Amino acid sequence: MSSKKIRLGGTALAMIGLVWLGVVYWMSFFWVSTEVTQGVAQRIFYVHVPAAWTSFLAFGLAALTSAMYLWLRDERLDRAAVSAAEGGMVFATIMLATGPLWGKIAWGTYWTWEPRLTLTLLLWFIFLGYFLVRSSTENPEKGKRHAAVVAIVGALDIPFIHLSVIWFRSLHPEPVVIKAEGPTLPGDMLATLLMSLGAFTALFLGLFLLRYSLENLRAELDTRSRHASV
Amino acid sequence: MRNYFAQIGAILWKDLRVELRTRERLITMGAFAVLAAILFNYATDRVGVSHEDIAAGLVWMTIVFAGLLGVGRTFHLEAEDGALQGILLSPVPKDAIFLAKALSNFVLLYIVALLVVAVFMLFFGLEVGSSAGMIALVIGLGVLGFVALGTLFSAISTGTRMGETLLPVLVFPLLAPVVIYGTSATSQFLAGRPVTEAEGSIKMLAAFALMALFAGSWLFRFVVED
Repeated sequence: MSSKKIRLGGTALAMIGLVWLGVVYWMSFFWVSTEVTQGVAQRIFYVHVPAAWTSFLAFGLAALTSAMYLWLRDERLDRAAVSAAEGGMVFATIMLATGPLWGKIAWGTYWTWEPRLTLTLLLWFIFLGYFLVRSSTENPEKGKRHAAVVAIVGALDIPFIHLSVIWFRSLHPEPVVIKAEGPTLPGDMLATLLMSLGAFTALFLGLFLLRYSLENLRAELDTRSRHASV
Repeated sequence: MRNYFAQIGAILWKDLRVELRTRERLITMGAFAVLAAILFNYATDRVGVSHEDIAAGLVWMTIVFAGLLGVGRTFHLEAEDGALQGILLSPVPKDAIFLAKALSNFVLLYIVALLVVAVFMLFFGLEVGSSAGMIALVIGLGVLGFVALGTLFSAISTGTRMGETLLPVLVFPLLAPVVIYGTSATSQFLAGRPVTEAEGSIKMLAAFALMALFAGSWLFRFVVED
């Protein structure tokens, strides 16, 4: 695919995602019924859960493309990795911001040492390290390789962090959608959640493609200016 | 295969011999551990909390901080005189270099970690008793996982502008399992609980150490290549 096509596709997807997100906001504020025990605060669920899903998708994509970059050494894979990691940071920040807002009302505290909270916060810091490593080497090639190593070790470490933080008692609501007996969420809530998952995924993929084509343009600018100076 | 172990042994022995002659890292890490224990004494409330309850956590945090101090300098000597190039150009596989470096860090940090436990026993009146062997095992496995990640990331941070300041930011989030399982198992042994209760933690520490050693020896080549 030419870089122009990627840019157009990214713009289209991001626009679709934004419009879709508008529909999701309308649904979660005016359409879906209010949850009995948690009240209005539960509506934050329609932002929080999709943000969590999207950030995990993004970080997974970043780790995968990083491993492939070390293997195949194709610059495009590194560009994809950094684009995905940046998207992951944005959505993880949304998740970390919306969680405590809900927690203050539902649990009575902004922060608890709950497994999923801790895992996400640690994941956020792992990818902070990814960006720090990337930008702090003299030789950009080296920065790319080092960052890829950070992403891969992070991905290998995640199962251990996950199991270890569960060691402490869990306060987080149990999954209500993906479980053996099938979803227990009422129909309209499930519909809103699924719509929101779709909107967030489309928005992320759109932003990812835009960011990726920006990296392509940067690389091209770099080559051209090098040619011009020679 | 025998050749491989001989290569690991040669680099390991070189590092240990340098350390034996200068004693730089052992002295700084050991002094740090003792001083940290002294400060912890004033930072914790003797009346409110009994030392047995928080000792395991303090021991592990001291090990992690002292460890970062030492591990951060793994490639310092090599980086100074271009000696790293020499080792990398020698016909030794990169994973053997990594394993040797991690093992020499392990020897140093394990000595310091046992010193930390001894210092806490002395200053805080901890009773290790019959579970001394198990505590030594738990600390050994935790330290092994720590040095495997620490050595890999020390190779990364040495090559950056930020140097050693970058190391804790990279390593701390990844080390959460070591601290959690290590503290949990150590406090159970300090409380005189039977081995079966800490078995899960010990297995997880061993699995973590294996994962970290495998990841390190596989990824090290991508860190040092030029």
